Amino acid sequence: MSSRFIWHCRNNPKRELWFAWWATVVFYNFFTVSFFILSHTQPPANPALDAQGAAQWFEKNHYGILLGFAIMFLVTGMTAPQNALIAYSMRRMSITPAFGYSYLVLYSLSAVPGMLLLCIVLTVGALRPDRKPELQQWLFDLAFLSYVGTMGVFLIGSLVWMLAILIDKNRVFPKWFGYLNLCNALTEVVVSPAWIFHNGVFAWNGLIAWWIDMVVFGVYTGVFITLLRQMIIREDFGTGPLPDLPREAAS
Amino acid sequence: MTQTARADARVRFVPGQPDMWAFVLFETLVFTSYFVVYLLFRTQHHELYLRAQAGLDLQIGVFNTICLLSSSWAVARCVQASRHGAYRSALTNAFLTVFFGFVFLVSKVLEWARQIRMGNGFTANEFFQHYFFLTSIHCLHLLIGFVVMGVVVYQLLSPKRRSQELVETGATYWHTVDFLWVLIFSLLYVVR
Amino acid sequence: MRRTDGELILFWTLPATGLIWIAAFFLFPGFVHPMSPTMSAAAVAAFYRENTGRIRVSMILFNWFCVCLIPVLMLLVVQMRKMAHRTPIFSYCMVACAAGGPAIFLLANLFWLLAAFRPERAPELTQMYNDLAWVTFTIQVPYLIMQSVLLALAIYCDRQARPVFKPWVAHFNLLVAAALAPAAFTGLALGGPMAWDGLLPFWVKNITIAIWIVVMGVVIAQTIRRQRVESEVAA
Repeated sequence: MSSRFIWHCRNNPKRELWFAWWATVVFYNFFTVSFFILSHTQPPANPALDAQGAAQWFEKNHYGILLGFAIMFLVTGMTAPQNALIAYSMRRMSITPAFGYSYLVLYSLSAVPGMLLLCIVLTVGALRPDRKPELQQWLFDLAFLSYVGTMGVFLIGSLVWMLAILIDKNRVFPKWFGYLNLCNALTEVVVSPAWIFHNGVFAWNGLIAWWIDMVVFGVYTGVFITLLRQMIIREDFGTGPLPDLPREAAS
Repeated sequence: MTQTARADARVRFVPGQPDMWAFVLFETLVFTSYFVVYLLFRTQHHELYLRAQAGLDLQIGVFNTICLLSSSWAVARCVQASRHGAYRSALTNAFLTVFFGFVFLVSKVLEWARQIRMGNGFTANEFFQHYFFLTSIHCLHLLIGFVVMGVVVYQLLSPKRRSQELVETGATYWHTVDFLWVLIFSLLYVVR
Repeated sequence: MRRTDGELILFWTLPATGLIWIAAFFLFPGFVHPMSPTMSAAAVAAFYRENTGRIRVSMILFNWFCVCLIPVLMLLVVQMRKMAHRTPIFSYCMVACAAGGPAIFLLANLFWLLAAFRPERAPELTQMYNDLAWVTFTIQVPYLIMQSVLLALAIYCDRQARPVFKPWVAHFNLLVAAALAPAAFTGLALGGPMAWDGLLPFWVKNITIAIWIVVMGVVIAQTIRRQRVESEVAA
């Protein structure tokens, strides 16, 4: 079994693509553990908490935050292969390379304000449990708002991918996935009231702004990971339409 | 070419791209979840919602609905005309569709301005949170609809490009915008 | 025909960048003998009050020149394109990573400058900015680690008669990635070898980065020189 794996690592012409795909899958696993299980940052904390409440939230999740985000500081580089693979998928399409490069740049810059800032700020918050509660609340707000509220990159990035898929003649992705990108882009619009409300369904932890948005995002992510896998299997390194999935690999 | 053969095969099942129908289904599901949330909170604060709803003018809602229904009728005629090769008529109907959509948009913006002047802004109370959210996100879909109709017009304009599938796909999207409005209208304006 | 005009100019920005960074590094009073996370708010405020000039100058210098590594990273990307890879995935990854490091460092830089902006403010506020700056600076390793891993992978996958880089460059980069990894965990300790002024997150991380710059600089220079000789011979 392992010798077959080693043979693939050495000789499979698609090994670079598989590396990128596996990096994506592994990253999302780390992300889930770090955000959902360890730090309890997802589902998000309550924006209606007062300064004392925010300070207590930090105390309750002290080790989860520090360890969970240490893991993120180690592995965030894995977002690069994911963006590279998606950019590559657009290069495989019959469209101008500008689409792929746009996506690559957009998503490369997204991680710093959109995710790492939260990790850094919450780490700083948890670092000194005896900090003044008002300061803890300031860090609390900065973290969650920057994470939930960095919308533009994902909005425009999804639209770029959508456009690419709809115009593409090489059938790299099905058209319905192009439309799903529109759904994902719209979640960035739906989340914008989070900048206004401290409670209710439109707050950063609200039923509409977070829970329903998360379902759409979760579906979207699961779908594109699957479609990327199918793309790699179908890849023929040509420039024409991508062939269909071979019968055996379809299941 | 296999591309067109497959496309022809699909035309037999549904008008336009089946992919668009998948999108319609998904968006409808998402909107349904928004409606469920609205209804949930409405039953919890019935009094508040009833009072706030009194601020909405039912007549404007009816006018909006008539606008969009007319636009749907226009886009249906557009598809019919395009099927029979009457591209001039199809184009006219496409422009008519956009016209009705535009009237809807202007009316909505005026209504929002009026509500805000009356003191019922986005943050006024729970009902108006939902009102502005639902109508805004619907208007966004309408604006996207203009882009879609732009694609349809682009297809109809040039004999080389005319793809009946794309025209029907665009029409499907437009009907969805209308359909969603009818649901929003019923929920926000009618159900009291 | 390969377009190589300007390659050497870009390359020589590397030693220039190195000199500026080293100068700024020693100018900032908080690096040589790194500030401890256990400093009280009053001590931190005093530090910023007493050293405002040096802090501002060094951090402004860093702010100007912190992105200077990017052109050199792009020289690496250009070399990666020459490797015997089936797809451009590795070079795309490298491009994606190159933006990350400087962006994170800029954040840290901004926090330091912020901390020094109103030294007379409440000490807890200055301490918070200082915390933000130090944590951001110390944890900035994810993209650096990925760059090194990518380079190593790319070199391992480069199977041709004359690979662009020799295998030891790959091994070296894996070592670099391993050396940088502990810095990610600095949040877990306020003192000792894992704190942001400790052995691993500060000394090992920064010295490793310096060594990487020097070694990769030499490797790139040799590679460019070899390629120029080869293209002259071919012409």
